[in-house]
Amino acid sequence: MWDRQRMIDRGRREFLAQAFCGIGSLAVAALAAGERAEAGITNPLEARKAHEPAAAKSVIFLFMAGGPSHLETFDPKPLLNELSGQVRPTEFGDAKHQFIQAGAKLLGSARKFAKQGECGTEISDLFPHTARCVDDIAVIRSCYGERVVHSAAQYELFSGRLMPGSPSMGAWIAYGLGSESQSLPAYVVLPDPKGALEGGQPMYANGFLPAVYQPTMFRGGSRPVRNLDLPAGVSASGRRETIRLIRELNEAGGADDPEFAARIGTYDLAFRMQTEAPEVFELGNETAETLALYGVGTEPTDDYGRRCLMARRLVERGVRFTVVVSGGGAGNMQWDAHADIEENHQRMARQTDQPVAALLTDLKRRGLLEETLVLWGGEFGRSPEAQDGKGRDHHNLGFSMWMAGGGVQGGRIVGATDAIGLKAVERPCHFRDIHATILRQLGLEQDELTFPHQGRRERLTFLHGTPLDELL
Amino acid sequence: MTLHRYAVRIVRTLAGGCVAVLLAIGLASGEDAVATHWSLRPVARPTVPDIGMAAESSRDLQPIDAFIVEKLRANGLNLSLPADRETWIRRVTLDLTGLPPTPDEIANYLADSSPQADEILVDRLLASPAYGEQWGRHWLDVVRFAESEGFEYDRHRAGAWRFRDYVIDAFHRDKPYDEFLLEQLAGDELAAVEVSDGRVISEGLSERQRELLVASGFQRLGAVRRNAGNPELAFSRHEVLTEMTDIVGTAILGLSLGCARCHDHKFDPIPQVDYYHLQAFMAAAQEFDCPLANTAEQARWKATTEAIQKEIAELKKSIPGLQGAEADERKARIDELQRSLPPPLPTISAIRNDENRRTPIHLLKRGNTEKREQQVGPRSLALVSTTSALELSPDTVAPRTSLAKWLVDPGNPLTPRVIVNRIWQRHFGRGIVATPNDFGVNGAEPTHRELLDWLATRFVESGWRFKPLHRLIVLSATYRQASGIPVASDPENRWLSRFPRRRLAAEEVRDAMLQVSGRLNLKQGGPSVMVPVDVDQVMLLYAPAQWEVTADASEHDRRSIYLIAKRNLRLSFLEMFDQPDAQSSCAQREASTHALQSLELLNGAFSNDLAKAFATRLLREAGDGACEQVTRAWQLAAGRPPTERELRLGMEFLKTQPLEEFALAVFNLNAFLYVN
Repeated sequence: MWDRQRMIDRGRREFLAQAFCGIGSLAVAALAAGERAEAGITNPLEARKAHEPAAAKSVIFLFMAGGPSHLETFDPKPLLNELSGQVRPTEFGDAKHQFIQAGAKLLGSARKFAKQGECGTEISDLFPHTARCVDDIAVIRSCYGERVVHSAAQYELFSGRLMPGSPSMGAWIAYGLGSESQSLPAYVVLPDPKGALEGGQPMYANGFLPAVYQPTMFRGGSRPVRNLDLPAGVSASGRRETIRLIRELNEAGGADDPEFAARIGTYDLAFRMQTEAPEVFELGNETAETLALYGVGTEPTDDYGRRCLMARRLVERGVRFTVVVSGGGAGNMQWDAHADIEENHQRMARQTDQPVAALLTDLKRRGLLEETLVLWGGEFGRSPEAQDGKGRDHHNLGFSMWMAGGGVQGGRIVGATDAIGLKAVERPCHFRDIHATILRQLGLEQDELTFPHQGRRERLTFLHGTPLDELL
Repeated sequence: MTLHRYAVRIVRTLAGGCVAVLLAIGLASGEDAVATHWSLRPVARPTVPDIGMAAESSRDLQPIDAFIVEKLRANGLNLSLPADRETWIRRVTLDLTGLPPTPDEIANYLADSSPQADEILVDRLLASPAYGEQWGRHWLDVVRFAESEGFEYDRHRAGAWRFRDYVIDAFHRDKPYDEFLLEQLAGDELAAVEVSDGRVISEGLSERQRELLVASGFQRLGAVRRNAGNPELAFSRHEVLTEMTDIVGTAILGLSLGCARCHDHKFDPIPQVDYYHLQAFMAAAQEFDCPLANTAEQARWKATTEAIQKEIAELKKSIPGLQGAEADERKARIDELQRSLPPPLPTISAIRNDENRRTPIHLLKRGNTEKREQQVGPRSLALVSTTSALELSPDTVAPRTSLAKWLVDPGNPLTPRVIVNRIWQRHFGRGIVATPNDFGVNGAEPTHRELLDWLATRFVESGWRFKPLHRLIVLSATYRQASGIPVASDPENRWLSRFPRRRLAAEEVRDAMLQVSGRLNLKQGGPSVMVPVDVDQVMLLYAPAQWEVTADASEHDRRSIYLIAKRNLRLSFLEMFDQPDAQSSCAQREASTHALQSLELLNGAFSNDLAKAFATRLLREAGDGACEQVTRAWQLAAGRPPTERELRLGMEFLKTQPLEEFALAVFNLNAFLYVN
């Protein structure tokens, strides 16, 4: 049990010792939640030690929303090309799809696969840039999830549950590790400005975890975080006086309660965020070479390139979990290629391939890749059968994701689907195994990262996940 | 009756190691039962402890205080001195109405030195409509009320706001809790409305029938997944039934039934089959959007909208496959068409039993809809066996009425205990049972078991009414104590040796800011309001056209309970202050403190806008003297005049800084944001 009196004494000492913008006063933030207090943690976002020695300090999730095809990207299937136009042979078993009916014809892939890098992993010609980073990438070819519709699959990908309302992995990790940054949030989502996704806001949310672990959703434009700017007509020096008044009045009203002391501390952090955080949004500080590497200023890579570059800048400054979303709005504006797999995937790949490769390259040359786990993938893959001749339907029984950095051994291939890419047959990897792997790389124990809710000690992996040792 | 014996495995992490505790719980009548969990035993009628009240004659001790003082003394503690009257009126007013007292209300109360002053004040607060709005909010948290269905489409349920008004009205009129539950679980069965083809046969519903149907909307509050494409019908239906069943456990019985959907409950004596027996009460329950318009009006509406609906459907069909400008154009056209539709006809979001669409309820192996075992009929949970726990026939008439009657049967100890604990928790920040949604083996032990039973007994004896219970609590000496930081020997303040200070809840912060700045619109009831929000937030909706800002701007200043409860778009301001997400039952709000909150209050559009209004009000009511302005601001926001130091700091600030910056600072004060 924590010693409240000790906290109080410490809080009083620390904040009295602080200058206006003192750093240490943060340490007395938010003592309300018993759980955190038990762990001796005073600021809910204060960086804290992992349960185990960690390979990775932060995560970037390159979320390919809508479900990119494994068959056109990382999982070549010569037999599928041979059987193209035929009904799926019965020995491959059944599958449920969202739209296509039993009796649909298989569809071969038009993509060319070639061995890449020293490892020789096969990657299709959709991703020429990513292919050059293949020796840093471990492809997981045997992913699977429970549901074949977007919303439920997205909830499962992010939170391990099929229903909204549970915390996403980003919120869990912010809860587990806090933030290394003094002026930025722990968990950031960079949504695709083209529009919404089926899972909506609840997909990224903190669920039943306290609001401090909510994602900060970056908006488009040069001022992505809400409330960082002073309102029009208010001067910085004037507002500084207002904050000073708030502090003096709150102290005059008694700061004996640690929660009061904590509240006073949050104004220091708020002021620091306001003055320091905007620097991270200024991509102009980057060299021309870096901007060109990410495809900033060139179409169709400009938007995703900017957001990948932003992700690197956030990671550099200690943000724990960053999601960079590709795809938004109507289905075909995502990787949701129902009508024409070739048209859709070529377009989506052209937007993202160069930025993704640039991110890996840039992280690596700055020495950040070792401590940053990069995850690439969607909420499911796509069906071996054709939909309406040229498209592919959703498919949750076997598809590919990849990881790089953060202690992951590049150049590997883990697991396999069957000969037509229908089902994960070798080392099937459920979303919970992906979650368990991420937690493990961050040094978090899946059974120890818990929060009491509705009579249970809830955790990210509802059913126990098995970390992918094959990646190490 | 059979003897149930369950091994309950509790795994607790202790100092890094796992210790498995095996605990056997037996439930039986007849044979020697192993000790039954405390919450399942009958509600006792404890006598009020004799603490020698005369010795404490300096203050007016109530029976509640006797229970509290007894435990305090046992722990070497005692009640704190009473709070001053200014503190008490702000505390009780915010607690009962969610709004701070006005300077006039405070002045009138302070001027009344009669012994009845407190009771008169409490009775006035309990009679005010604001009481219904404040305590209705608590129930809406517990039943995860939202007006949209969640998941991708997040469709708005037509007329969903009526349920919110029903709840507010029930609290306002002090509807007995047993009736309140009966109406929510089985309102449609009680209304006995004849329906054919989804239409009400009789022309016109009585007021009472309307109310009952609105109440039955309780069973539509869970999130609903509307599948596109190959529908997984059985799975989706099972999800709906799961929501209906689980909420009965969480909200009413304080049991996490959800665990028993896939396996025998690990902690509580609920075998998996009991879960499906309970679900069988809902087997015939289907959505029912009951039209309130008459046949002619319905026909007229259909005629005017048919062409538009058809065009929308065609456009929607044409979009997949399109991209870029063409797709955008069509989407814009759809939005435009949707906005051009006349407002939907008045509807009640209800349920009803549809015998033709009854879902056969089977025990499902591991909760998997494809692994059906034996079929089961409705039967109440065996762990609370009242007069009979017989299985009913699956086609029982009015099954949910039977369920509701079992819930409020005198032999069911959970229902009254759970609700009085919720009331206590909302008054004191912590329940007598600290886990209000879990009275099971895994939940917290009550700190004052006798008090809980005494309150439950009183509650039921006074006709399951809330207002007498509030009265008992807020007029006690325990409630009247001064607040302060907990003593070292009781860091969580479990024994209540002082009143627990609390931060205002999200809606209270917003409502109080509106009231203090003189902008609060106290209009009651009616369709929900959508306020302007960042366009980025709207664009994150699957159907941005759903966010239709209410045209009349004065509506934007209404109490927060009248703002739309939309699952996929929550107001950042409220979210920041821990408003729950309405995805699952919220028994107790978090009160987190973080920098984004401070940024919201410092730089957010809402607080800066209101700071201007507040400054204007101060100028109007206090003139242009700094001393008067500061004094007035403190009276409005903190319910007291400023101390000498507070006054001096404010006046010094105003020598160089504008009044609206001072007003903004006031919104950021602990004296405003906390209740002492």
